[in-house]
Amino acid sequence: MPSQVQTQGLVSRRLYRVVRGTVVVVLTGILIAGLLGKIPQLDILEQSARNLYFHVPMWFALMAATIVSAYHSAQHLRHGDRIRDLRAREAARLGLIFGGLGIVTGMVWARFTWYEGTGVWWNFDPKQSMAAVLLLIYGGYFVLRDAIDAPRTRGRIAAVYNLFAVVTMPFLLYILPRQMPSLHPGGEGSPAFSQTDLAPAMRWVFYPSVLAFLGLCWLLYTQRVRLAWLREVLRQKALGNAHGDGDAAH
Amino acid sequence: MTIHPLRPSDSAALRPGQERPDTTTAYDSTWTEQPAHSAPEGLDRIMGQDGKIYVVLAVVLLIWIGVVALLFRTDRQIDELERRVDRSISENE
Repeated sequence: MPSQVQTQGLVSRRLYRVVRGTVVVVLTGILIAGLLGKIPQLDILEQSARNLYFHVPMWFALMAATIVSAYHSAQHLRHGDRIRDLRAREAARLGLIFGGLGIVTGMVWARFTWYEGTGVWWNFDPKQSMAAVLLLIYGGYFVLRDAIDAPRTRGRIAAVYNLFAVVTMPFLLYILPRQMPSLHPGGEGSPAFSQTDLAPAMRWVFYPSVLAFLGLCWLLYTQRVRLAWLREVLRQKALGNAHGDGDAAH
Repeated sequence: MTIHPLRPSDSAALRPGQERPDTTTAYDSTWTEQPAHSAPEGLDRIMGQDGKIYVVLAVVLLIWIGVVALLFRTDRQIDELERRVDRSISENE
Protein backbone atom coordinates (compact mmCIF):
# COMPACT_ATOMS: atom_id res chain seq x y z
CA MET A 1 0.00 0.00 0.00
CA PRO A 2 1.55 3.32 -0.97
CA SER A 3 1.57 5.45 2.11
CA GLN A 4 0.33 8.47 0.16
CA VAL A 5 -3.23 7.17 0.00
CA GLN A 6 -3.34 6.93 3.77
CA THR A 7 -5.38 9.62 5.42
CA GLN A 8 -3.03 10.23 8.31
CA GLY A 9 0.18 12.21 8.02
CA LEU A 10 -1.29 15.45 6.66
CA VAL A 11 -0.09 17.20 9.80
CA SER A 12 2.35 16.37 12.56
CA ARG A 13 0.25 15.24 15.50
CA ARG A 14 2.77 16.56 17.96
CA LEU A 15 2.88 20.02 16.40
CA TYR A 16 -0.91 20.08 16.30
CA ARG A 17 -1.22 19.17 19.98
CA VAL A 18 1.35 21.77 21.02
CA VAL A 19 -0.40 24.53 19.05
CA ARG A 20 -3.80 23.44 20.35
CA GLY A 21 -2.66 23.52 23.97
CA THR A 22 -0.96 26.88 23.52
CA VAL A 23 -3.98 28.42 21.81
CA VAL A 24 -6.35 27.24 24.52
CA VAL A 25 -4.15 28.58 27.33
CA VAL A 26 -3.25 31.88 25.65
CA LEU A 27 -6.78 32.68 24.44
CA THR A 28 -8.18 31.95 27.89
CA GLY A 29 -5.64 34.43 29.25
CA ILE A 30 -6.58 36.93 26.53
CA LEU A 31 -10.26 36.75 27.51
CA ILE A 32 -9.41 37.42 31.16
CA ALA A 33 -6.79 40.12 30.54
CA GLY A 34 -8.84 41.62 27.71
CA LEU A 35 -11.83 42.20 29.97
CA LEU A 36 -10.03 43.07 33.21
CA GLY A 37 -6.75 44.63 32.08
CA LYS A 38 -5.90 48.29 32.32
CA ILE A 39 -6.57 50.44 29.27
CA PRO A 40 -6.18 54.20 28.67
CA GLN A 41 -9.25 56.34 29.25
CA LEU A 42 -10.26 57.76 25.88
CA ASP A 43 -13.28 59.73 24.73
CA ILE A 44 -15.54 58.11 22.13
CA LEU A 45 -13.75 54.75 22.46
CA GLU A 46 -14.07 54.35 26.25
CA GLN A 47 -14.22 50.64 27.18
CA SER A 48 -14.78 49.66 23.54
CA ALA A 49 -11.01 50.03 23.04
CA ARG A 50 -10.86 46.46 24.34
CA ASN A 51 -12.30 45.41 20.98
CA LEU A 52 -8.78 45.85 19.64
CA TYR A 53 -7.89 42.48 21.18
CA PHE A 54 -10.63 40.69 19.30
CA HIS A 55 -11.50 42.65 16.14
CA VAL A 56 -7.99 43.26 14.76
CA PRO A 57 -6.74 39.63 15.05
CA MET A 58 -9.62 38.63 12.76
CA TRP A 59 -7.91 40.57 9.95
CA PHE A 60 -4.51 39.13 10.74
CA ALA A 61 -6.10 35.69 10.46
CA LEU A 62 -7.69 36.64 7.13
CA MET A 63 -4.36 37.87 5.76
CA ALA A 64 -2.53 34.74 6.85
CA ALA A 65 -5.28 32.50 5.46
CA THR A 66 -5.30 34.21 2.06
CA ILE A 67 -1.51 33.99 1.79
CA VAL A 68 -1.53 30.30 2.76
CA SER A 69 -4.35 29.72 0.28
CA ALA A 70 -2.44 31.43 -2.53
CA TYR A 71 0.71 29.47 -1.70
CA HIS A 72 -1.11 26.17 -2.06
CA SER A 73 -2.81 27.35 -5.24
CA ALA A 74 0.60 28.13 -6.72
CA GLN A 75 1.87 24.70 -5.66
CA HIS A 76 -1.23 23.12 -7.15
CA LEU A 77 -0.51 24.80 -10.48
CA ARG A 78 3.09 23.63 -10.39
CA HIS A 79 2.52 20.00 -9.41
CA GLY A 80 -1.19 19.36 -9.86
CA ASP A 81 -1.56 17.70 -6.45
CA ARG A 82 -5.15 17.31 -5.39
CA ILE A 83 -4.34 17.95 -1.73
CA ARG A 84 -2.93 21.39 -2.62
CA ASP A 85 -6.24 22.33 -4.17
CA LEU A 86 -8.08 21.19 -1.04
CA ARG A 87 -5.66 23.11 1.19
CA ALA A 88 -6.14 26.25 -0.90
CA ARG A 89 -9.90 25.86 -0.69
CA GLU A 90 -10.01 25.34 3.07
CA ALA A 91 -7.58 28.21 3.74
CA ALA A 92 -9.75 30.50 1.60
CA ARG A 93 -12.80 29.32 3.52
CA LEU A 94 -11.18 30.15 6.87
CA GLY A 95 -10.13 33.52 5.45
CA LEU A 96 -13.71 34.23 4.46
CA ILE A 97 -15.00 33.22 7.90
CA PHE A 98 -12.50 35.34 9.82
CA GLY A 99 -12.96 38.23 7.38
CA GLY A 100 -16.72 38.01 7.86
CA LEU A 101 -16.26 38.09 11.63
CA GLY A 102 -13.90 41.04 11.21
CA ILE A 103 -16.32 43.06 9.14
CA VAL A 104 -19.30 42.36 11.41
CA THR A 105 -17.38 43.16 14.59
CA GLY A 106 -16.05 46.29 12.88
CA MET A 107 -19.60 47.36 12.01
CA VAL A 108 -20.75 46.97 15.60
CA TRP A 109 -17.70 48.81 16.91
CA ALA A 110 -18.05 51.69 14.45
CA ARG A 111 -21.79 51.99 15.05
CA PHE A 112 -21.25 52.92 18.71
CA THR A 113 -18.11 55.02 18.30
CA TRP A 114 -17.75 56.88 14.99
CA TYR A 115 -21.46 56.79 14.22
CA GLU A 116 -22.73 56.94 17.81
CA GLY A 117 -26.17 58.50 17.96
CA THR A 118 -26.62 58.48 14.19
CA GLY A 119 -28.09 55.02 13.87
CA VAL A 120 -25.71 54.41 10.93
CA TRP A 121 -24.44 50.83 10.72
CA TRP A 122 -22.65 51.19 7.39
CA ASN A 123 -21.31 54.48 6.10
CA PHE A 124 -19.11 53.36 3.21
CA ASP A 125 -15.95 54.24 5.02
CA PRO A 126 -13.15 53.28 2.58
CA LYS A 127 -11.73 50.71 4.99
CA GLN A 128 -15.11 49.03 5.41
CA SER A 129 -16.01 49.15 1.72
CA MET A 130 -12.68 47.82 0.52
CA ALA A 131 -12.81 45.01 3.08
CA ALA A 132 -16.29 44.15 1.80
CA VAL A 133 -14.97 44.11 -1.79
CA LEU A 134 -12.19 41.73 -0.71
CA LEU A 135 -14.70 39.37 0.88
CA LEU A 136 -16.80 39.46 -2.32
CA ILE A 137 -13.70 38.56 -4.36
CA TYR A 138 -13.12 35.55 -2.12
CA GLY A 139 -16.81 34.71 -2.30
CA GLY A 140 -16.33 34.67 -6.07
CA TYR A 141 -13.65 32.01 -5.63
CA PHE A 142 -16.21 29.62 -4.19
CA VAL A 143 -18.84 30.50 -6.80
CA LEU A 144 -16.24 29.75 -9.48
CA ARG A 145 -15.39 26.42 -7.86
CA ASP A 146 -19.03 25.40 -7.70
CA ALA A 147 -19.50 26.22 -11.37
CA ILE A 148 -16.96 23.62 -12.58
CA ASP A 149 -17.64 19.91 -12.20
CA ALA A 150 -14.41 18.29 -13.39
CA PRO A 151 -12.03 18.25 -10.38
CA ARG A 152 -8.82 18.83 -12.34
CA THR A 153 -10.18 21.73 -14.38
CA ARG A 154 -11.77 23.16 -11.27
CA GLY A 155 -8.53 22.97 -9.34
CA ARG A 156 -6.49 24.70 -12.05
CA ILE A 157 -8.95 27.49 -12.86
CA ALA A 158 -9.69 28.17 -9.19
CA ALA A 159 -5.95 28.30 -8.45
CA VAL A 160 -5.38 30.92 -11.15
CA TYR A 161 -8.30 32.98 -9.84
CA ASN A 162 -6.95 32.64 -6.30
CA LEU A 163 -3.57 34.06 -7.32
CA PHE A 164 -5.31 37.13 -8.72
CA ALA A 165 -7.46 37.38 -5.58
CA VAL A 166 -4.52 37.46 -3.18
CA VAL A 167 -2.87 40.27 -5.13
CA THR A 168 -5.88 42.51 -4.42
CA MET A 169 -5.64 41.84 -0.65
CA PRO A 170 -2.91 44.35 0.32
CA PHE A 171 -4.37 46.95 -2.03
CA LEU A 172 -7.90 46.64 -0.70
CA LEU A 173 -6.94 46.39 2.97
CA TYR A 174 -4.04 48.86 3.14
CA ILE A 175 -3.02 50.83 0.10
CA LEU A 176 -6.34 52.14 -1.19
CA PRO A 177 -7.95 52.98 2.19
CA ARG A 178 -4.87 55.02 3.08
CA GLN A 179 -5.27 57.19 0.00
CA MET A 180 -8.72 58.28 1.12
CA PRO A 181 -10.15 60.08 4.11
CA SER A 182 -11.17 57.37 6.55
CA LEU A 183 -12.07 57.26 10.21
CA HIS A 184 -10.33 53.93 10.62
CA PRO A 185 -6.87 54.00 12.24
CA GLY A 186 -4.30 53.76 9.48
CA GLY A 187 -6.26 56.14 7.27
CA GLU A 188 -4.70 59.06 5.43
CA GLY A 189 -1.26 57.58 5.29
CA SER A 190 -0.71 57.07 9.03
CA PRO A 191 0.32 53.60 10.07
CA ALA A 192 -2.21 51.96 12.36
CA PHE A 193 0.26 50.60 14.86
CA SER A 194 3.08 53.06 15.23
CA GLN A 195 4.99 53.44 18.47
CA THR A 196 2.58 56.00 19.82
CA ASP A 197 -0.69 54.32 18.88
CA LEU A 198 -0.82 51.52 21.41
CA ALA A 199 -0.42 51.87 25.17
CA PRO A 200 2.25 49.58 26.66
CA ALA A 201 -0.25 47.73 28.85
CA MET A 202 -2.31 46.86 25.78
CA ARG A 203 0.61 45.49 23.78
CA TRP A 204 0.97 42.61 26.22
CA VAL A 205 -2.56 41.52 25.43
CA PHE A 206 -2.78 42.54 21.79
CA TYR A 207 0.28 40.79 20.32
CA PRO A 208 -0.37 37.42 22.03
CA SER A 209 -3.98 37.75 20.94
CA VAL A 210 -2.95 38.09 17.29
CA LEU A 211 -0.74 35.01 17.57
CA ALA A 212 -3.41 33.03 19.41
CA PHE A 213 -6.09 33.78 16.82
CA LEU A 214 -3.65 32.89 14.03
CA GLY A 215 -3.14 29.59 15.87
CA LEU A 216 -6.89 29.05 16.22
CA CYS A 217 -7.30 29.72 12.50
CA TRP A 218 -4.61 27.14 11.75
CA LEU A 219 -6.27 24.54 14.02
CA LEU A 220 -9.63 24.95 12.28
CA TYR A 221 -7.91 24.93 8.88
CA THR A 222 -6.13 21.68 9.75
CA GLN A 223 -9.39 20.06 10.85
CA ARG A 224 -11.04 21.09 7.59
CA VAL A 225 -8.14 19.84 5.47
CA ARG A 226 -8.18 16.45 7.20
CA LEU A 227 -11.92 16.15 6.65
CA ALA A 228 -11.64 17.27 3.02
CA TRP A 229 -8.89 14.70 2.41
CA LEU A 230 -10.97 11.96 4.04
CA ARG A 231 -13.80 12.79 1.67
CA GLU A 232 -11.40 12.75 -1.27
CA VAL A 233 -9.98 9.35 -0.29
CA LEU A 234 -13.47 7.90 0.10
CA ARG A 235 -14.50 9.39 -3.23
CA GLN A 236 -11.52 7.83 -5.00
CA LYS A 237 -12.20 4.55 -3.22
CA ALA A 238 -15.78 4.64 -4.44
CA LEU A 239 -14.50 5.24 -7.96
CA GLY A 240 -12.37 2.14 -7.51
CA ASN A 241 -9.10 3.89 -8.15
CA ALA A 242 -7.87 4.47 -4.65
CA HIS A 243 -4.57 3.00 -5.78
CA GLY A 244 -4.14 5.25 -8.78
CA ASP A 245 -3.90 8.97 -8.15
CA GLY A 246 -2.19 8.08 -4.91
CA ASP A 247 0.46 10.66 -5.63
CA ALA A 248 -2.01 13.31 -4.62
CA ALA A 249 -0.85 13.65 -1.03
CA HIS A 250 1.59 16.52 -0.52
CA MET B 1 -32.37 50.26 42.59
CA THR B 2 -34.46 52.58 44.66
CA ILE B 3 -38.21 52.46 45.07
CA HIS B 4 -39.93 55.81 45.21
CA PRO B 5 -42.85 55.32 47.55
CA LEU B 6 -45.79 57.47 46.54
CA ARG B 7 -46.02 60.50 48.75
CA PRO B 8 -48.85 62.97 48.38
CA SER B 9 -46.32 65.70 47.68
CA ASP B 10 -44.73 63.86 44.76
CA SER B 11 -47.10 64.47 41.94
CA ALA B 12 -50.56 63.72 40.86
CA ALA B 13 -49.23 61.32 38.30
CA LEU B 14 -50.35 58.02 39.74
CA ARG B 15 -53.50 58.73 41.68
CA PRO B 16 -56.21 56.13 41.09
CA GLY B 17 -58.62 56.91 38.38
CA GLN B 18 -56.29 59.07 36.40
CA GLU B 19 -55.01 58.56 32.90
CA ARG B 20 -51.92 56.49 32.27
CA PRO B 21 -48.83 58.66 32.67
CA ASP B 22 -46.95 59.13 29.43
CA THR B 23 -43.49 59.72 30.84
CA THR B 24 -41.27 56.71 31.31
CA THR B 25 -39.98 57.90 34.65
CA ALA B 26 -43.48 57.66 36.07
CA TYR B 27 -43.03 53.89 35.85
CA ASP B 28 -39.83 53.94 37.94
CA SER B 29 -39.87 51.35 40.62
CA THR B 30 -36.74 51.58 42.69
CA TRP B 31 -35.95 51.50 46.37
CA THR B 32 -35.32 54.82 48.06
CA GLU B 33 -34.66 53.34 51.43
CA GLN B 34 -31.74 50.96 51.34
CA PRO B 35 -32.48 47.87 53.38
CA ALA B 36 -30.10 47.54 56.30
CA HIS B 37 -28.11 44.91 54.50
CA SER B 38 -24.82 43.48 55.53
CA ALA B 39 -21.81 43.63 53.24
CA PRO B 40 -22.02 40.97 50.53
CA GLU B 41 -20.07 37.86 51.29
CA GLY B 42 -18.33 35.09 49.46
CA LEU B 43 -19.10 34.80 45.77
CA ASP B 44 -21.37 37.86 45.81
CA ARG B 45 -18.53 40.03 47.04
CA ILE B 46 -16.19 38.90 44.28
CA MET B 47 -18.68 38.94 41.43
CA GLY B 48 -20.17 42.29 42.40
CA GLN B 49 -16.91 44.20 42.11
CA ASP B 50 -16.12 46.71 39.36
CA GLY B 51 -19.59 47.01 37.94
CA LYS B 52 -20.08 43.22 37.86
CA ILE B 53 -17.56 42.77 35.02
CA TYR B 54 -16.66 39.40 36.56
CA VAL B 55 -20.12 38.13 35.70
CA VAL B 56 -19.41 38.95 32.05
CA LEU B 57 -16.04 37.23 32.34
CA ALA B 58 -17.69 34.11 33.75
CA VAL B 59 -20.18 34.00 30.85
CA VAL B 60 -17.47 34.52 28.22
CA LEU B 61 -15.27 31.83 29.77
CA LEU B 62 -18.15 29.35 29.86
CA ILE B 63 -18.77 29.92 26.14
CA TRP B 64 -15.05 29.54 25.45
CA ILE B 65 -14.94 26.25 27.38
CA GLY B 66 -17.80 24.99 25.20
CA VAL B 67 -15.98 25.98 22.00
CA VAL B 68 -12.75 24.33 23.16
CA ALA B 69 -14.62 21.14 24.06
CA LEU B 70 -16.07 21.12 20.54
CA LEU B 71 -12.59 21.58 19.06
CA PHE B 72 -11.22 18.59 21.01
CA ARG B 73 -14.22 16.39 20.25
CA THR B 74 -13.96 17.12 16.54
CA ASP B 75 -10.26 16.25 16.61
CA ARG B 76 -11.04 12.92 18.27
CA GLN B 77 -13.73 12.13 15.70
CA ILE B 78 -11.42 12.95 12.79
CA ASP B 79 -8.73 10.71 14.33
CA GLU B 80 -11.22 7.87 14.59
CA LEU B 81 -12.48 8.37 11.01
CA GLU B 82 -8.93 8.39 9.62
CA ARG B 83 -8.12 5.15 11.43
CA ARG B 84 -11.26 3.48 10.08
CA VAL B 85 -10.70 4.62 6.50
CA ASP B 86 -7.04 3.57 6.55
CA ARG B 87 -7.99 0.17 7.95
CA SER B 88 -10.59 -0.40 5.25
CA ILE B 89 -8.12 0.66 2.54
CA SER B 90 -5.46 -1.77 3.71
CA GLU B 91 -8.03 -4.57 4.04
CA ASN B 92 -9.02 -4.08 0.39
CA GLU B 93 -5.53 -4.72 -0.81
